[in-house]
Amino acid sequence: MNSNNRIKHQHSRVDLTKPLNFSFNGKSYIGYQGDTLASALLANGVKVMARSFKYGRPRGIVGAWAEEPNCLVQIDVGAKTTPDLKATQVELYEGLVAGRTSGWPSLAFDLKSIGGHFSRFMPAGFYYKTFKWPAQFWPLYEHIIRRAAGYGSSPIEADVETYDHKHHHTDVLVVGGGATGLLAALLAGRSGASVILLDDQSELGGYLLSSPNTTIGGKSAIEWRDNVITELQSLPNVQMLTRTTAFGLHDMNMIQAVELLQDHLPHNQRKPAQRRERLHRIRASKVVLATGAFERPLVFGHNDVPGVMTVSAIATYFNRYGVACGQHALILTSNDGAYQAVADLAAGGLQVTLADVRTEINPAWDARFKQLGIDVYLGFGISEVFGKTTVTGARLSKLNPTNAMQEMLAQGVKLRVINQIDVACDIVASSGGLSPTVHLFCHDGGRPTWSDESLAFVVSANSRANAGIYCVGAVTGVFGLQAGLEKAVETTNEMLNSLGKNSTASKLNLTTNEIARSPAQAIYRIPTNKKAFVDFQNDVAVTDIELAVRENFKSIEHIKRYTALGFGTDQGKLSNVNGFAISAEFLGKTIPQVGTTTYRPAYTPVSFGALAGAHVNDTFEPRRYTAMQPSHEKYEAEFETVGNWMRPWYFPKTSENMHSEDMHAAVNRECLAARNSVAMLDASTLGKIDIQGRDVREFLNRVYSNAWSQLAPGKCRYGLMLNEAGMVMDDGVTACITDTHFLMTTTTGGAANVLNWLEKWHQTEWPELEVYMTSVTDHWATAALVGPKSREVLAKLCNDIDLSPINLSPDAFKFMDWRDGTVAGVPARIFRISFSGELAYEINVDASYGNYVWEELMQAGASFDITPYGTETMHVLRAEKGFIIVGQETDGSVTPLDLDMAWAVSLKKPFSFIGKRSLARSDTVRTDRKQLVGLLTEDPTIVLKEGAQIINSSNILPPVPMFGHVTSSYYSAFLGRSIALALVTDGLKRRDDPANNTIYAWAEGKAVKATIVSPVFVDAEGARHNV
Amino acid sequence: MSNLELNLSQFSPVMQTPLQHFNLSAKQEKMTDAKGVWAHEMALLGYIHLRGNAQNKDFLTAVKKATGVDLPTAACSISVASAITMLNLSPDEWMLICPREQRAGLQKKLEAALTGIHSQVLDSSGGYTSVWLQGKQATDALQHCTVYNLHALTPNKVVGTTFGKASVIIYRLDNGFCLVLRRSFADYIWRYLARAAAPYGLGIAAL
Repeated sequence: MNSNNRIKHQHSRVDLTKPLNFSFNGKSYIGYQGDTLASALLANGVKVMARSFKYGRPRGIVGAWAEEPNCLVQIDVGAKTTPDLKATQVELYEGLVAGRTSGWPSLAFDLKSIGGHFSRFMPAGFYYKTFKWPAQFWPLYEHIIRRAAGYGSSPIEADVETYDHKHHHTDVLVVGGGATGLLAALLAGRSGASVILLDDQSELGGYLLSSPNTTIGGKSAIEWRDNVITELQSLPNVQMLTRTTAFGLHDMNMIQAVELLQDHLPHNQRKPAQRRERLHRIRASKVVLATGAFERPLVFGHNDVPGVMTVSAIATYFNRYGVACGQHALILTSNDGAYQAVADLAAGGLQVTLADVRTEINPAWDARFKQLGIDVYLGFGISEVFGKTTVTGARLSKLNPTNAMQEMLAQGVKLRVINQIDVACDIVASSGGLSPTVHLFCHDGGRPTWSDESLAFVVSANSRANAGIYCVGAVTGVFGLQAGLEKAVETTNEMLNSLGKNSTASKLNLTTNEIARSPAQAIYRIPTNKKAFVDFQNDVAVTDIELAVRENFKSIEHIKRYTALGFGTDQGKLSNVNGFAISAEFLGKTIPQVGTTTYRPAYTPVSFGALAGAHVNDTFEPRRYTAMQPSHEKYEAEFETVGNWMRPWYFPKTSENMHSEDMHAAVNRECLAARNSVAMLDASTLGKIDIQGRDVREFLNRVYSNAWSQLAPGKCRYGLMLNEAGMVMDDGVTACITDTHFLMTTTTGGAANVLNWLEKWHQTEWPELEVYMTSVTDHWATAALVGPKSREVLAKLCNDIDLSPINLSPDAFKFMDWRDGTVAGVPARIFRISFSGELAYEINVDASYGNYVWEELMQAGASFDITPYGTETMHVLRAEKGFIIVGQETDGSVTPLDLDMAWAVSLKKPFSFIGKRSLARSDTVRTDRKQLVGLLTEDPTIVLKEGAQIINSSNILPPVPMFGHVTSSYYSAFLGRSIALALVTDGLKRRDDPANNTIYAWAEGKAVKATIVSPVFVDAEGARHNV
Repeated sequence: MSNLELNLSQFSPVMQTPLQHFNLSAKQEKMTDAKGVWAHEMALLGYIHLRGNAQNKDFLTAVKKATGVDLPTAACSISVASAITMLNLSPDEWMLICPREQRAGLQKKLEAALTGIHSQVLDSSGGYTSVWLQGKQATDALQHCTVYNLHALTPNKVVGTTFGKASVIIYRLDNGFCLVLRRSFADYIWRYLARAAAPYGLGIAAL
């Protein structure tokens, strides 16, 4: 094995003065700056880089770009490890650590390769057919099969890299920085349009970098490229992004592209503040797809031996990277596109043998090949490659010279092999033509069409111009450089005109030195009795497709799924079109009749990190905080997320021996403080909507089920909001500030929806009502001061409101009143409302003062052992009073009447209210609907499970009729027993019928006996708050 | 209850911005080219929400009378007078931003001038804070945060738009952007902005 295939020539993009150390599978190698991992391994003579998926056959590099099917590698170690990168797309850097992702237990010896010898027993559908029985063994089979199949390892540590997203808006997006993409970007840039040019490679130029002997305008392709890039760089309206793969084209020309920012750098040059990858989301008025094409290999016997490649790949390694993949190349082609590479290799000193399936050769090329000493075999194909882990030679077989294969088959004639020649070689490359990279064009519904002229699925330059999508270059099936450039000027100008812009192609001589192309031959496989692979990554051979067709799979989508053709990380970039053509052959159809499978994003794999971007860690989700957050943290609250709000859940106390209370202990303590002394809840998160205007009372009458015409200024009222179906959607207390000014409160989670709801009804149904509504949720910070001692605490901080008990002063601040005043020197609006049933004051201040006022209240309450409490205690206190929580006692199927809240429904209002009509439906007027009741367990120590099913008997042998469920359930420290709320069928009647009020609540295998009672467990008469 | 002897002078109320815990003022430095993005919290300003009918001449006249400035009625436009910045948030909604100590007076004048005219004037000062953003890469940093086309946001324009998974109001002046954040989202938005600006270097500007 030759361990140094590196050659020195002037066009190489690799800097031989900058050697780089790297390792592959634990062995050290040297490559150079500018190499990919693939080019460096080839330069080091490494042939076998993978084992195949199904048969464990040795595999080497086939391609040079995103189409590479075989060489999936594991890059880096630990938290930075990335599986299944294509070696062709990994840029080499100093210290790179790479490993195989296949080959089990090792690359040199793969257990499955034993299977390879029995491959005739592993046809398409093998796994489906073989591991079907017994069904319960499949997990075991799957584990072993997946392990044997390979494919790399995901990191098990957290990702240490960071990622972000960037949004762009541009007039023109050009995808692809090859010859036509550069030209389109230049013309667009000259027109003054804003332009973004993307390319997935480390440098712009596309195939020009692989084709240095081509000239454009009398200059080498590389020099032409350099000049175009220089001009593009001088244009401030042009942005160029390299190492950036456009992987999805979505509706309205939103293109997603991922940019690799640091992966090409040695670890010590990576900037900690820089991202690893950046997801660009580009919204473009016009998209120019210059995505080019991948060369399609021909399918022949043992075409998977390491050393069999595409012609474009071999030319690229030779010209761009200065790597000769071997000493003697056998090249098989069906078209003139491969000829330049043949000439380049021969001129570079390789021994080259050319086989062309066609029987005639363009005399201009013939002369050049003779001059270069190239052996040319016309009318020959490769029937078999020799060698196991590396190519040692190949057998050329003469194809029937009289007709193209397609026509022969159409006539039912069997192809015959006339004679054979064995050629010794260490590298085989083939070209069956080009397959345009139509993926992006198809992502949002575009379809490619078959071109008999190009022998490819192509897209039209301007058929989707209405959608702003234009295509230039090889993707349109124009494979010649000269024609491609000329057509690109035409298409780009058409695109610019549609933007109302003009450009000029001045100083652009687009004449090339290309030799005119002769027609290619339609041929996809060479007849052989050896295994011939179509899809390398999934080990799909010609025989598998034949079998699938024989087993009556007729749609290409089904053939794909049965054989796995085109699956995997390469998504069949190399194999698909051959698969379609070979399927067509066996189906007896034409290729366009067979059509293509569906091209879906992503074009190449995208990391989860890039998709997540900034939506990780402390920027994963918005966390909304109230103004009192500093105090909550000081008192060591445990938090729970409510909507996006971070609300204190409970405040565990830490005793002297550092023992921290659990939630139950904390909640019991907090509840007793609220009932017996004084406690405080941060109620800032409740939605608050300020509504003003002449018609505000009427507006409230329509959006609430209860009546608002009589509520006097200074008073508050609880309101229920229904949806059109008559079901409870929100609730809250609304205060009358003046006759034309109300302040509505909503649930914490419902705030935004309610505001939208109000605006929707106002703007679409009742624009004649003069009201304006604005959210003031964030403006007001709210401290709910709760408990019998709350009055004394507030009195320490407030002297401008009459806080006397109601029996002592006619002007006293009564339950369900509000007052403006001053608390701790801060203007405050205080509501005497109560979600606990206790004497309570909800103190609202400008949120800037929220934390200050909270701390002052804590100080003022210190002598009463004032206790901050969280949402859990809030829930217990309200459940003790039978107060509902929308979303807990209700689920969108509960009416006010179901909640026994007929008092909150006014059917006498002159104008209807939302939901009124639905309350008269036959279903909603049923009296035996599920209704809200309280439950008391027979054993007071048992706390029912929320969600437990209500059943009528402890007998749980199915079928068991179900009569509802437990909606809320707590231990009440105040009552010294458990309590629960439930929705129970016909619950109101059963509550009042001692003969029928026993139920069982079933959960987790247990049925617990309970009695249906009123949901108000504490102070039904309201004596505690009416003081 | 004998609470009437309470001495109010014993209290010294303290305001806090929602970005208080980042202690930004202590991190201020003189702006240089070394960092691409410079931010500065304009803390504790006065914010007034104003709603009304821009087709109603009386409304416009009353606002002009109270503020001395023409209400910006074109979509996404702003008016900047010496002490008041007026943002057009929607066809019938404006935000007036002024020094905190001028808010009460301005609100009184507006309410007086708008008596009898269908409108809404609200103090929202507790609900917002503003972050000023400038620097050669301020636009790049914002491009990570919002889908809005910032190049279409020319000086003296305002837009309410997305910011990560939340939303902000952004207005642009000649030398930079001003983000107007809701108090409860301020922590998230600051963290998101700081993260976005990190690759360019984020400095807290002493203005």
